[in-house]
Amino acid sequence: MDPIDVHLLRELERGLPVVPSPFEEIGKRLGLNGDEVLERIRHLKESGIIRKFRARIDQRKVGIIANALVAWKPAGAGNGDLGKLLAAFPSVTHCYERRPVPGRWEYTYYTVHHDYSKEQVLDDVKAVAEQIGGPEYLILFSTREFKRVPNVRMRENGGGVP
Amino acid sequence: MSGSSLPVLDQTDLAILNALQDDLPLVSRPWKAIADRVGITETEILSRTKMLEIAGIIRGISPILESRHLGLHAATLVALHVPEERVDEIAAVISSYAEVSHNFQRDHYYALWFTVAAQNGEGIQKVLDEILKRTGIPAADVLDLPTMKKIKIDVRFSFLPAQSREISDGSD
Repeated sequence: MDPIDVHLLRELERGLPVVPSPFEEIGKRLGLNGDEVLERIRHLKESGIIRKFRARIDQRKVGIIANALVAWKPAGAGNGDLGKLLAAFPSVTHCYERRPVPGRWEYTYYTVHHDYSKEQVLDDVKAVAEQIGGPEYLILFSTREFKRVPNVRMRENGGGVP
Repeated sequence: MSGSSLPVLDQTDLAILNALQDDLPLVSRPWKAIADRVGITETEILSRTKMLEIAGIIRGISPILESRHLGLHAATLVALHVPEERVDEIAAVISSYAEVSHNFQRDHYYALWFTVAAQNGEGIQKVLDEILKRTGIPAADVLDLPTMKKIKIDVRFSFLPAQSREISDGSD
């Protein structure tokens, strides 16, 4: 990644311009033509820096107001596939394995579920649990959102970029 | 749903929202390519997308970056037990850090749940120590749950015509 890529990512972070030739528009700000911008984006995708290029939706504005973090406890030693099983459900948007706090907090897998109502989330989580053999779990509904931004923001925490 | 209602999204809006959650076509006229898929004109997709952005439904079309490739090698989820009357004050301290991307109140003894990403474990510890010092929360009221493995990240909402609802101006 060179300094032009960094500059390009910073511009793209502002959002794709809603005009017929958006890459040309971005290019004007960087002194590149549209094809050069596209070439760089393709390269950034191939190298895995850009995971996806897509719309971020504020789901609450379309009525998807229920959000739960669910913590799962593997049934016994060697239940290493629990994460994979959970991730396979389309309703699971995030699935992470986390280090527990022995003696205080034994949950190791965490999933996120969204739906139009709390009841729908509860039904969904219950169905997921039943289908994977009924592991112990804890549902944590969000009651307030204080901050929700992408975890990488070039302008704020782009980390060790040149 | 409570709140004042805005215009109802029609089937075309929902189709656009679905299409824009797919990876953007990397061609010189991507809007035209998406419009063709949805079955509308380029002019129409541009005007509808602008409306969806103004309404705050679309928060922008932008690249999702892989944290590890940008030097963020460590991440954790932290839960804090916080006295009810201090939730706002403590949440504000937490949200002020650039290293924090998500910060929610949840209905549990551990009331505040937030994510921290940094270049390494030390960077995370520094932020965490500072938050605890500034708020006076004892270590016994903290759960630090470091990310061992990201198994899935695929935030996608499928909008079916049947699910078309009025847009609420939910508090954001």
